[in-house]
Amino acid sequence: MSMQELTPSQAVSLEESLAAQKRTTRRQEVRGAIAIGVLWAITLLVAAIFVFIIIRLLIEGAPTLLQASFYGTGEAGIAPELFNTFYILILAEIFLFPISLAAAIFLVEYSRPGRFITVIHFAAETLSGVPSLVLGMFGFLIFVVYAHMGTSRLAGALTLLCLNFPLALRLYEQALETVPRDLREAGLALGSTRWHMIRTVVIPSALPGLITGLILTAGKIIGEAAALLFTMGLFNPTNVFTLNPLVASDTLTTRLYYIKGPGAGTLGLNSVQESALAAGLSAVLIILLLVINLSSRAIGRAIQRRITAA
Amino acid sequence: MQTLQRSRLADQVVRILFFICAILLVAVIIGVIAFIGSKAFLVFGEGANVKDYFLGTFWDPTGNSGTPSYEAGGLILGSVITTVVAMIIVTPLAIGTAVFFTEAAPRWLVRTMQPLIEIFTGIPSVVVGFLGLLVIVPLLQKLAAPIPGVFAPTAGYGWGAAILVLTIMVIPTTLSISIDALRAVPGSVREASLALGSTRWQMMINAVIPAASAGLGTAVVLGFTRAIGETLAVALVLGGSQIPKNIFSLAAFFQPSINITAPIAQDFGETAGAAQDAYWTLAFILLAITFIFVCISRYLASRSVYK
Repeated sequence: MSMQELTPSQAVSLEESLAAQKRTTRRQEVRGAIAIGVLWAITLLVAAIFVFIIIRLLIEGAPTLLQASFYGTGEAGIAPELFNTFYILILAEIFLFPISLAAAIFLVEYSRPGRFITVIHFAAETLSGVPSLVLGMFGFLIFVVYAHMGTSRLAGALTLLCLNFPLALRLYEQALETVPRDLREAGLALGSTRWHMIRTVVIPSALPGLITGLILTAGKIIGEAAALLFTMGLFNPTNVFTLNPLVASDTLTTRLYYIKGPGAGTLGLNSVQESALAAGLSAVLIILLLVINLSSRAIGRAIQRRITAA
Repeated sequence: MQTLQRSRLADQVVRILFFICAILLVAVIIGVIAFIGSKAFLVFGEGANVKDYFLGTFWDPTGNSGTPSYEAGGLILGSVITTVVAMIIVTPLAIGTAVFFTEAAPRWLVRTMQPLIEIFTGIPSVVVGFLGLLVIVPLLQKLAAPIPGVFAPTAGYGWGAAILVLTIMVIPTTLSISIDALRAVPGSVREASLALGSTRWQMMINAVIPAASAGLGTAVVLGFTRAIGETLAVALVLGGSQIPKNIFSLAAFFQPSINITAPIAQDFGETAGAAQDAYWTLAFILLAITFIFVCISRYLASRSVYK
């Protein structure tokens, strides 16, 4: 068959099948182009939603941000909330950073791969799945009621420790794992104990990653509200600018919730003022979030430079 | 010799200290399950019965209207409906974006969107709730006006607004996990598919997505976990204390309504005794649901070929 002349009918059918194949290819190409067009549209829609939300919240809050009274201590001022937010951030990190870093060091440097690490990771995943509201109720039961702390900053900070432990652990583990193995072995080969090696070799090399992790957990703490409703309360004492950890206090986020939620109409502000205050709070939170994200990226780039320079 | 001994001793002490910190994590999760579990069933000995708790729809544990009523069926229905519908919207948007992002997007788009996604993963939920009040509720109020059975002054609040707010909250989570799953698929899978003559789209749909399916499943399941526990964003836009009466009509989505988390946020702090125990049962339901989701996501992750 192969070397013989094609009969006219065979030639026609060959041409037909070639044409059919071309049509199929063409159809697949058109279908692919349409599908990619749809994906373009979906992606642009999602990006547009993100950009719209940030810009809309900043524009809405801009007039409030320009008023001096917004930064005061009055009913429409946020000075106490700013103070409380940074206070609780520092108090929570005092617990969170050393404990989760110690746990990460144990997992990465001391324990052998095996069942123990699997158990810890399963616990971390389960804990990170628990809704922050439920952890807030747990914190209320354990710290506020059983430990007699009352609704206080201390109870709030300890609840935030429980809430952010899994995230912090993962971030610090990742930071420690980037340190090359031969650095550790060199340290140990020089006769230092493991802890000495960790202090002098591992932690300095992992420092940029640890700082990035610290900043990211700081972002989570500043944005958290549901876990603080029952542990830290929604109200401030009269002398709010105190370092006493056993007083109740609100934060930027819980204040925003109170203004638009249960406290709407009870603040002695009219609804326009309430909305302006809420818009200002939202804008402040968005700006804090942007600053945190940009600074963690800048540090990330610094790591990159150090690694490529070394 | 003495310094050597001292540093050996320090090493041992530090080791034990760090071990305790690692174990603390396990202690916390066991504590959460044990303490909330121990409170979960108390309400059934204090006047509630199991059938009404899950099937009844009149939630009034503090007895504002006379006798306390522990019927959480409406709350559970609210959480299920808002979560499921939100995830039906989120899944195609997030996976579509992730596929485009990893397989076909121009570099400038990846550069601009990467930080946007990271910022949005950490956006405070109460801010999204405020945005819902600012933009979504008025919009839905206008859209819902012609629907029969909608009570105009309170229209816009409810499940519809909650679904949109949840969509905004969950997309970044599902999207970033999906992107990680797709990036884990090795280039050889793509090359093999293209070498067989696939178009780019055929490569995505027939090679890359199936190869990443377990990871994409994890992304969706973790989206569910995030959505069911979401509180303040949803609490601000639900605006009700009972489910709407006309629940089998379109109007039900645009009337003030309820879910599991909103009444906890609003009322738990002011309750005591049996009323508080009713809320502990709700907390236990949330805990159990998220635990099941975490187990599913772990199962899917263990089945994924590329990590």
